Amino acid sequence: MNKVLFSIILSLSTVACMPAYVAVAPGNINYDGLIIKTDQAWNLAPTISTPSARKGSKVWTQDGILLDRIMIIPAVADGESLFTTTSKDQALPAFKADMLPNEIEELTESSLVKLFKEGEVVVQTSNLRPHRFGEHNGLLFDMNVAVSDGPNYRGITGALVVDKKLYLIFFLGAEPYYYRKHIDEALVIIKGARV
Amino acid sequence: MRHQLRICFLLLILTCRAIAAVEFDLEPKIPPGYQPVDANTEKGIWAELHDYEREIQNSALLVTDREINQYVRNAACRVAGDYCSDLRIYIIRNPYFNASMTANGVMQVWTGLLVRVSSEDELAAILGHELAHYTQLHTLERMRSLKNSMSTGAVFDLGLALLTGVSVPVGQFAAVLNVLAYSREQEQEADLLGIKFMAAAGYDPSATIRVWKAVIEEEENAAVKNRAPGIFSKTHPGADERVEILESFVPQQYTNLTPDPQGRQKHVDMLNRYYMMLMEDQIDTNRHGRTEAMLRNHQAIGVDSNLINFFWGEMYRQRNLEGDLDKARKSYKLATRGDKPVAEAYRNLGYIHLKERSLPEAKHYFRKFLEVQPDADDRAMIEFYLQEKQP
Repeated sequence: MNKVLFSIILSLSTVACMPAYVAVAPGNINYDGLIIKTDQAWNLAPTISTPSARKGSKVWTQDGILLDRIMIIPAVADGESLFTTTSKDQALPAFKADMLPNEIEELTESSLVKLFKEGEVVVQTSNLRPHRFGEHNGLLFDMNVAVSDGPNYRGITGALVVDKKLYLIFFLGAEPYYYRKHIDEALVIIKGARV
Repeated sequence: MRHQLRICFLLLILTCRAIAAVEFDLEPKIPPGYQPVDANTEKGIWAELHDYEREIQNSALLVTDREINQYVRNAACRVAGDYCSDLRIYIIRNPYFNASMTANGVMQVWTGLLVRVSSEDELAAILGHELAHYTQLHTLERMRSLKNSMSTGAVFDLGLALLTGVSVPVGQFAAVLNVLAYSREQEQEADLLGIKFMAAAGYDPSATIRVWKAVIEEEENAAVKNRAPGIFSKTHPGADERVEILESFVPQQYTNLTPDPQGRQKHVDMLNRYYMMLMEDQIDTNRHGRTEAMLRNHQAIGVDSNLINFFWGEMYRQRNLEGDLDKARKSYKLATRGDKPVAEAYRNLGYIHLKERSLPEAKHYFRKFLEVQPDADDRAMIEFYLQEKQP
């Protein structure tokens, strides 16, 4: 009996210490000037679960960040990286305000390689195409992320540069189930983003 | 002072003699077709490795293309002789320089290795080294060392991390350090026996020296020196040390050392065929100094100059230091010469002109790109710019 009680207390205290996911209600959300519209509720991941996310970035998920994630990276200024790192070895590439669509695609690809762990992932982008985000021109491209010890991910990135700042959102879902499950809603969110 | 020099000289002679003696004495510890005999440890390791091999087989990073696999397998089997049927070789898409071997004959070769060696002889040098780890039961020895210093549950993952070059959990580093000194001896043994294997197979043993000299050159070019696990790590002797040891005895033991021109051509043919995949992964590492060293080497061994020039363009454009855009432009133009232009070079020339706000020139190159590659997956983006009136 004592063992059972101890286990319950231990479990509760462990749960109490865990950082919580916060619900994101449907509607318009403004992250640092990037307005996102979602028709369904999402879960905002705690920052401790996403240590590589730069300040101001948000990660949404439906089924857990290892299965699906939408990463929202607003207002990246000239010279800044898409992610953060404490490792000097990582050589994270930086955004430049005069980058063209192909360079933003390369920046994302190279940054994701560092994010997932260099040498243990192959990131491939394709179908770079223009997209109009409200009154601003931007771009979309597709992604495939092959991880050495995890599932294959498939996804899409949307990005635009306004006032020399990069606004970028990407969706990645584990293939095949979680990608198919969430891609439609992810497309609505990414294509409907506004600055 | 003279006394100290004399001692150093004597030590040097003794070291060289010891190396030469080791080389002659070394023989494989196991016969071809070996099966595990030790029920307590060895059979357990083989069972675990069987599961690990299944993971490799299902890995998204496994390169399955037939020709590149056949090239590596043929070289491995030539080196391995009667041990060939004991080996299962897996090429892993990873831009770093590494290969690994497990106790049950699973050899992993990273694509970063293929793009760094210059000939089949040099590839054989690495494969011979890995084969020697197998025939000397090094994996088993190291697993036993680990098992004595750690809890059983952690042994397998950590052992794999050591042997495959994948990162080691920080909390277990102290235990790992205890076995590193021992593994350096094993590495030297594998170097020496590996040379014996490759020489017996008719490969040029001095290729081993060339491999490590290229490693040194790449390290010297690197802005950020490599501290990651793998061939460069502290589990392996330094490249300088290796070259010194190998140069002291390879020419003495093996005369008539001449690289096989056909072996070089076979390697260059493989590189030409897979160059876009191999070098795109390297470019993604964002390590421009290393890329430069590799491109210079590829130029020297005769890889298709259009392909090399395209990646010089990629390196300059992405590094983007002062003057790099001009260098990128020149490289891309060189990549479009002859009857096999690299289509993406036209596209990137278009983007450079677009950046410089010279829209007519940009459109000229974008049109050339679509002519050469009408089914380009980014056609919509290019057509968007072709319709632009102002950049």
